[in-house]
Amino acid sequence: MAANRRLRSVGSPAGEAVVPVDELLADVARGDDGAFADVFDALADVVYGVVRRLVRDPALSEEVTQEVFLEVWRTAPRFDAERGSARTWVLTMAHRRAIDRVRSEQSSRDRNDRVGRRDDDRPFDSVSETAEQHDEHRRVAEALDTLTGVQREAVELAYYHGYTYREVAELLGTPLGTIKTRMRDGLIRLRDAMGVTR
Amino acid sequence: MTPPPDIHTLTGVYAVDALPDDEREQFEAHLQVCEACRQEVDELRATAALLAEPVAETPPASLRERVLAGADQQRQVPPRTTVTDLASRRRTPVWATALAGSAAAALLIAVIGLSFAVTSLTDRLDELEVAAGEQREQAALISDVLASPDAQVVSLTGEDGSVVNLVLSHETGRAVFVADGMEPAPHEHTYEMWVIHDDRAVPVGVFDPGPDGRVTHTVTGDLDRAVAIGVTIEPEGGSPEPTTDPVMLLEL
Repeated sequence: MAANRRLRSVGSPAGEAVVPVDELLADVARGDDGAFADVFDALADVVYGVVRRLVRDPALSEEVTQEVFLEVWRTAPRFDAERGSARTWVLTMAHRRAIDRVRSEQSSRDRNDRVGRRDDDRPFDSVSETAEQHDEHRRVAEALDTLTGVQREAVELAYYHGYTYREVAELLGTPLGTIKTRMRDGLIRLRDAMGVTR
Repeated sequence: MTPPPDIHTLTGVYAVDALPDDEREQFEAHLQVCEACRQEVDELRATAALLAEPVAETPPASLRERVLAGADQQRQVPPRTTVTDLASRRRTPVWATALAGSAAAALLIAVIGLSFAVTSLTDRLDELEVAAGEQREQAALISDVLASPDAQVVSLTGEDGSVVNLVLSHETGRAVFVADGMEPAPHEHTYEMWVIHDDRAVPVGVFDPGPDGRVTHTVTGDLDRAVAIGVTIEPEGGSPEPTTDPVMLLEL
């Protein structure tokens, strides 16, 4: 439980006095649609942002964002606070759904044209450019700076670009085992820098 | 069937959704049985979620209305019944009803002689022993369990002739589930096994029958106060608690 408070406090934008998403979600679980609207307001930007980052197409990103929130509504009664904060739960769902959408689009594209090239128009840009806008962003950016260059590259290629670790290994010409280790070590370092602890 | 030995190192890859679909399934099955990985995944997911913060972007205003209208038309899932509920249902005997009425399982309890069970297990042992690596480990485990002084065999015979054996030893806290002729689990589902205690059901792994319906699934853990071993059909990757009535129940 202490862990959840901790996760929530690092996961919410600094300085805003709002009803924590965890409490809102408990109300959503009891069918409170007003609380659901509040959850949407609290998380829409960050959910849409991560979906858009992965999916790119704005219309498709809206569609996926809508699916994510409807899944939040539908499955709120099964949210397990023991496993983490509500914010993490929703963002995990958003990231995964966006990845699934990217993969299924990718495989239908691969089926339709044999070339099956990756979206190389997606620039490998750095998070820190936009990070100054917000305290929380700066904290994340600073924490990312504690990663080694190769750890950060592996984590960002997976999280922001939706590559599988096999694709990352291929892209970087690096053995699979090394990529696995970089992703895990990178996240562990980030976890420690952000004070996400149990 | 047995995951690679370094599967624990996949926590980071899993937390950023970078496992290909097939490996993701395998890792999720592993998570059902590995508390250490589950904890690490929870932490790393909370960490990965922070990466969403810097890329926040306001969606078009129309989205809010569509989402709220959508929720208005969707029914919420019921909360998962707690394990305590499951245990009390068992006493007012849902498990028994599931078995008795079970067209789905078409299973018939047959407490059969130890010797028969041992014969069929020995046959399986021979097969496993000629096979390589992981299977040989299973064979060794079955031999071990059979050799325990308190070895006990529980068997079910299906109407279709399928046979399920569970050989277990309370003393060593180990059991091996061996089945033939099991139907594949429904699409996007898997079988999950549970050690049923009076007050809870402990997940002990997911499994999928081989091409010939064969299953060898090993269980380690506290079997001392276990009252039954159950098998349910769960969504792919398994569930932390049973979400369906059992298709098989082996009372101990």
